[in-house]
Amino acid sequence: MTDPETSVPRLVGSGFVILLAGAVLGVSALGVTIRNGITEWQYALAFGVLIAVGEMVQFRVDSSRNRAPIATSAALGYALLRPPEVGIPPDVAQVVAVTGLATLAGVVPRMFVGLRWDLVVSCRRVLSVACAAAVFTAVVPGDLYWSGSAAHTVALTGVMLLAVLAAATVDALIGAGQATETLNQPFPSALRDEVVMAARIGMAMGISAILLAIGTSLIGLWGLPLVVVPLLLTQFAFRRFASARRTYRTTVRSMARSTEIAGFSSPGQNARTAGLAVAIGNDLGLRPDRMEALEYAALLSGVGQLALADPSPGGASLLRTRAERQHAAEIGASVIERSGVLDHVAEIVRHSNDPYRQGRANNSQIPVESGIVNVALAYEQLVGEGSGQSPEKAMESIGLGIGAEYDPVVVESLRRVVGRGFRF
Amino acid sequence: MVLVIALIHARPDVPTVTLGLLLLVGVLLRSRVGPVRASLDYVVHIALFLLSGPAAAVVVSVLLPLTQDRRLPLMRRVFNGAQAVLCATAAAGVYVGMGGGRRAEVLESPGRALIAATAAIIAWLAANALLMCLVLWLDHGATSPLTFLRKVAAPTVLPLTGYGLLGVLLAVVWIGGLGVGAILLVVVPLLVARWTLSLYQAERDAQAATMRAFIQVIETKDLYTRGHSERVSTGVGMLGRHLKLGEDRQQALEHAGLLHDVGKVGVPTRIIQKPGRLEDFEMDAIRLHPARGVELIGSIPFLEEVKSAVLHHHEKYDGTGYPAGLSGENIPYFARIIGIVDAFDSLTSTRSYRPARSIEETLEILHADRFTHFDPNLVADFVQVIRAEGWTAAAADQPAPDGTVKAGIDHDDLSLGTSGGASGSAAGPTES
Repeated sequence: MTDPETSVPRLVGSGFVILLAGAVLGVSALGVTIRNGITEWQYALAFGVLIAVGEMVQFRVDSSRNRAPIATSAALGYALLRPPEVGIPPDVAQVVAVTGLATLAGVVPRMFVGLRWDLVVSCRRVLSVACAAAVFTAVVPGDLYWSGSAAHTVALTGVMLLAVLAAATVDALIGAGQATETLNQPFPSALRDEVVMAARIGMAMGISAILLAIGTSLIGLWGLPLVVVPLLLTQFAFRRFASARRTYRTTVRSMARSTEIAGFSSPGQNARTAGLAVAIGNDLGLRPDRMEALEYAALLSGVGQLALADPSPGGASLLRTRAERQHAAEIGASVIERSGVLDHVAEIVRHSNDPYRQGRANNSQIPVESGIVNVALAYEQLVGEGSGQSPEKAMESIGLGIGAEYDPVVVESLRRVVGRGFRF
Repeated sequence: MVLVIALIHARPDVPTVTLGLLLLVGVLLRSRVGPVRASLDYVVHIALFLLSGPAAAVVVSVLLPLTQDRRLPLMRRVFNGAQAVLCATAAAGVYVGMGGGRRAEVLESPGRALIAATAAIIAWLAANALLMCLVLWLDHGATSPLTFLRKVAAPTVLPLTGYGLLGVLLAVVWIGGLGVGAILLVVVPLLVARWTLSLYQAERDAQAATMRAFIQVIETKDLYTRGHSERVSTGVGMLGRHLKLGEDRQQALEHAGLLHDVGKVGVPTRIIQKPGRLEDFEMDAIRLHPARGVELIGSIPFLEEVKSAVLHHHEKYDGTGYPAGLSGENIPYFARIIGIVDAFDSLTSTRSYRPARSIEETLEILHADRFTHFDPNLVADFVQVIRAEGWTAAAADQPAPDGTVKAGIDHDDLSLGTSGGASGSAAGPTES
């Protein structure tokens, strides 16, 4: 079973490269820093502690990657320090060394306690911070500092924005590459998702970093609590939201399982269908919000059966005729609609049993997700537990329905997904 | 009067004007989080202490009523404005008293400015809470001042103090040379904070709505139990508030009430809809429903109490219930609560074999069975709650009882020795 939340992504390829790059960069930066000596150790220590703490309190929203906004803001902020309060601003090597060491210091406790950790994600931060530091020092002349004059401050802020932007770009590129590799998402759509994410969460982290740098440059270490305390509060609020969201997701999954308990589908059938639907959705490069609706729709596609009479002992085989299945889909959609919060999901479920020729081929209003759920359901019925056909045979049967029953684009995608070795 | 003094001292400088304008568009900085209006606009005032001095902050707070929802009555808006002026004055007094400076002085002694500003924020919040308490006390409304302090003021004081620091940050960045541009930078964390505060509630609401919709599907199996879960959820909610449960447990109890019969999805519709007396094997199928329910919701990270309540809501106080035959205090607290409300709702709704009982009659049945079936103390509480608050009985769209059905028993219709109704296996394992 492929469960997007629990499956371990294959990180051997890009993950290894990122780790190697991070390690090489970190070690050489550390070497340079040791040779040159550390400047303004109070600031290095304070920011290092912040990064480590931020790393320790990192969190996840759904299956997307770990977020450690405080660590990111602190590391970027450290890279953007300038006088007057900071006598000698840290050079690039020192920024990288402090970020790297602090990140390790934050990850190691998580390893020991058994919390979720991902060195590759942490490594990506070291790389992007190094990039921001390099851009910043390259563009800002040595004598430009927070003098209070309007021209200086505007120029400095502008360059800070540029540096943060550079960091975001590097991170988005790396992230998109990783998504392409692990989820088999097409690179352009993976990049689009990363950029959208960077524009939302990334921008907030970047601006916080700039505020942190300005505040610290102006009033010294007193500037840290001014940014960090609100940031910490926001992060706590966000974690609370993330846990509510997880609860919600498991609620939907549990409800989907009710068809199994009621005997309408075989154990695990909904989860298998959803796993396949998600794989196809990734392959087609759907946006994240649509992916979520797709997963819910695949999970809940059978819920309408609950309102029907009892299943025959044969389970799902009862609902083989088209009319019955479409009736169940219609009921399911109205049930889901009743919740008032899953309208997209209802729309997908409503058309999930329409044959392609009478449905999507003529009506572009019907979302492609309906076609995906349709194909995923069919493939699961053929290959899933109990029916046990070989994938090749199943592909052959589905191939016979191309254009009439199934959306050709989706079937092509299924062929790729199965060809890459997708197994339930 | 305070206002007049402030007006004399205030000078209309750039920060006062721009931040005043910001306040006017400050609807941006507000969000509705549950019953509390989480307003982050006092952040602007805090910035003004450091930028233009306390007098300016007091003057600007007069603008607040203008930004408020036009649907509020004028009196209310004027009152809120006056409240803001008083809060600002209190905060200003503390800020000056603690020796907080302004403009260049802030950068010279940032520590003192920071501490003074923090104290001013706390003074602001304290003044606000005090005034609210005063109003609630004079109002004799539904919320008592104590409830307000416990439920609204106490949990928000720490976050609001923390976010107040953004005001100090705004001032520092402004004084440092960025001027008006500082607003652009600081607005981002403020907006993120506001967004985050609203997300959580949205997710919780979605969760509740989805569970309701789902429960309704399961109840389509049986016309007679339609709305039962919702009503039980309401009922346990009323009892829970009477028992003064904490916020989290109250929510959990209501969830448990809503989900207690979710396992019925695994009971064949044929059995649920069967009129008349059930065979033993059919009753056994029904007895499985608590376990099925836990199987279904087991992976949802609810409080353990929700799951144990779903599993044990058919236990009886004398130990003759199912599935585990627990007795007395061994039955989980939530399960005892739900058991009472569950029975109450079943008895007051129509069944295929009998019309709905009246509320008084039902309360007497509960009372009569308080040692055999229910927790006597909780029954006493529940009777009190229903007598005080009333009960909206089952919806009228229930079908009338089927005259042809002579005997029969619903799984939760467990009445009840002396008061008539079912006995024997339907009410649980027979004592032997």
